Amino acid sequence: MNVIEINNLTKHFSSKRFSGDKIKALENVSFNVGSGEIFGLLGPNGAGKTTLVKILLGITFLTQGKAALFDKPVTDVNVKRKIGYLPENHKFPNYLTGEQVIEYFGRLSGLKKYDLDKTTYKYLKIVGMDEWGTTKIKKYSKGMMQRLGLAQAMISNPDLIFLDEPTDGVDPIGRKEIRDVLLELKKQGKTIFLNSHLLSEIELICDRVAILNKGALIKEGSVEDITTTENKYIFTTSDLDDATMNKLLLEYKSTVHGKNEFTCLVNGVEDVNKIIDFIRSSGILIHGVNQEKNSLESMFINLIEQKN
Amino acid sequence: MVLYSFIRGIFKEALAKKILLTIFGFFTLIIVLIVFAITNSTVEGLQMMLESKSEGGLREAVMMLQSGIVSGVPMFMLVASMLIITSSFVPDMLKKGHIDLILSKPISRTKIILGHFIAGVVLVFVSFLFLLGIIWIIVSLKTGYWNFYFLYSVLWFTLIFAVLYSAVILIGLLSRSSILTIIINLLVFFPISWLLYLANRYFESDQKGIVFGAFAEAVLKFLYQILPKAWNMQDMCDAFITQNPIVSYQPLISSLLFMAVMLSVSIWYFNKKDY
Repeated sequence: MNVIEINNLTKHFSSKRFSGDKIKALENVSFNVGSGEIFGLLGPNGAGKTTLVKILLGITFLTQGKAALFDKPVTDVNVKRKIGYLPENHKFPNYLTGEQVIEYFGRLSGLKKYDLDKTTYKYLKIVGMDEWGTTKIKKYSKGMMQRLGLAQAMISNPDLIFLDEPTDGVDPIGRKEIRDVLLELKKQGKTIFLNSHLLSEIELICDRVAILNKGALIKEGSVEDITTTENKYIFTTSDLDDATMNKLLLEYKSTVHGKNEFTCLVNGVEDVNKIIDFIRSSGILIHGVNQEKNSLESMFINLIEQKN
Repeated sequence: MVLYSFIRGIFKEALAKKILLTIFGFFTLIIVLIVFAITNSTVEGLQMMLESKSEGGLREAVMMLQSGIVSGVPMFMLVASMLIITSSFVPDMLKKGHIDLILSKPISRTKIILGHFIAGVVLVFVSFLFLLGIIWIIVSLKTGYWNFYFLYSVLWFTLIFAVLYSAVILIGLLSRSSILTIIINLLVFFPISWLLYLANRYFESDQKGIVFGAFAEAVLKFLYQILPKAWNMQDMCDAFITQNPIVSYQPLISSLLFMAVMLSVSIWYFNKKDY
């Protein structure tokens, strides 16, 4: 079942009040997010990531196309009962304590006092903020505010959670803890929609990603698919002799990395099997054959550079 | 539930920003001044004056006293101070990072606006109830005459505030600036609506000294009709306290219409605005 469905979503903003000029924030964006997935939305600054999330949450209105959450249009207020949201640069009233922030936004989410009494400290504990619940948030650090924001997003036990830069300002240990919380939520069957600049983190926890650039979707798929270079294989072997190396270089257009490793560009699995046959016939042992993978970061940079 | 959350939120904000403390401190000062100002001789003097003119006794003296307490200038000071205090509520709500959170909750935009409006009105009602309620008790204890009609001034003042606060909501939404909201609203309250009130009284009077051109008169009458009539409502409050008949309910009706229009435009604008 798709939790998020986006079809040809377009958003134009007026560049100036009363002028006819339009800025294209999003242009014909389409993708779906399935139940229980951790989905990452990537893109450089100004790509339209936050605008997309705001449209899904009914904070901004779409110009054209369709956007649905749980099979209901995003304009349906009731669908928000199933949603939690942590915005980028969120501002909680700084005269409140951590506990009061959770209670205030919990009440706005429709929770009753009885539910809040039971769950406020449960979620503060999950994000490691239970000892700070009675402290005014103006004394919190950036990282603590992010953790509180995450607790706020989880308070109504939503099925879908939107997180915009959730680890912004959080130290490495805190980031690991937040990742663990997100993975735990995934285990519980929650769907998580993540906006982040930290591609290494996205790579660690996301099932699928979409890459936006200048308002257009340029790539979408599983992290595995996106980071895998389809036609490049890495062979690890026992020691290669000179004759085999020469043949690999000349006939198979390989790149040899020392005596025990080489990479080959191939046209398909038939080519891979031919190389395997050749190596084995040369009396060399094959230790491993793997498709080459790029980091999400290098893939992302390559894609953006190509499009620009 | 949502309304309760907004009311609680606004009271917490008022408490945290020491707004409530300032209001109640200021009001307590007024109450103390009234305690010292109303002496037995003041009341007796008033009573004797009225008796000598055959215009009534103790009852009328108390009403006159109470009418003075909630006359035009105190009304303006009280309502204006409340408008200043509450003018930051909407611009604060619209701050980036906060409005996103509010709009992501399962509450319609209409309820958000109405929730803020009602929460502000409740805050002011409680404050006026505290001030005018205690003044009523003091005056009644000191004079021995309990004029329950004086308590209507709490409702009238809250109503005057509500009418003007509806414009605060709209200007706050459009400008996102507390300062601009305060300036525009205070200008509408005083001098604009006050001058229009005086102009209308002049047009209705039989003796006309100054000659207005037909166009100027039409413009002034038009402005008088469309703008809130806080000063006429204060007159109506006075009539309630002194148990005199109200000449016309038209100022109340047109002010309520103004409030309805302001709130409707606010809701319409908020419902179509991207944040």
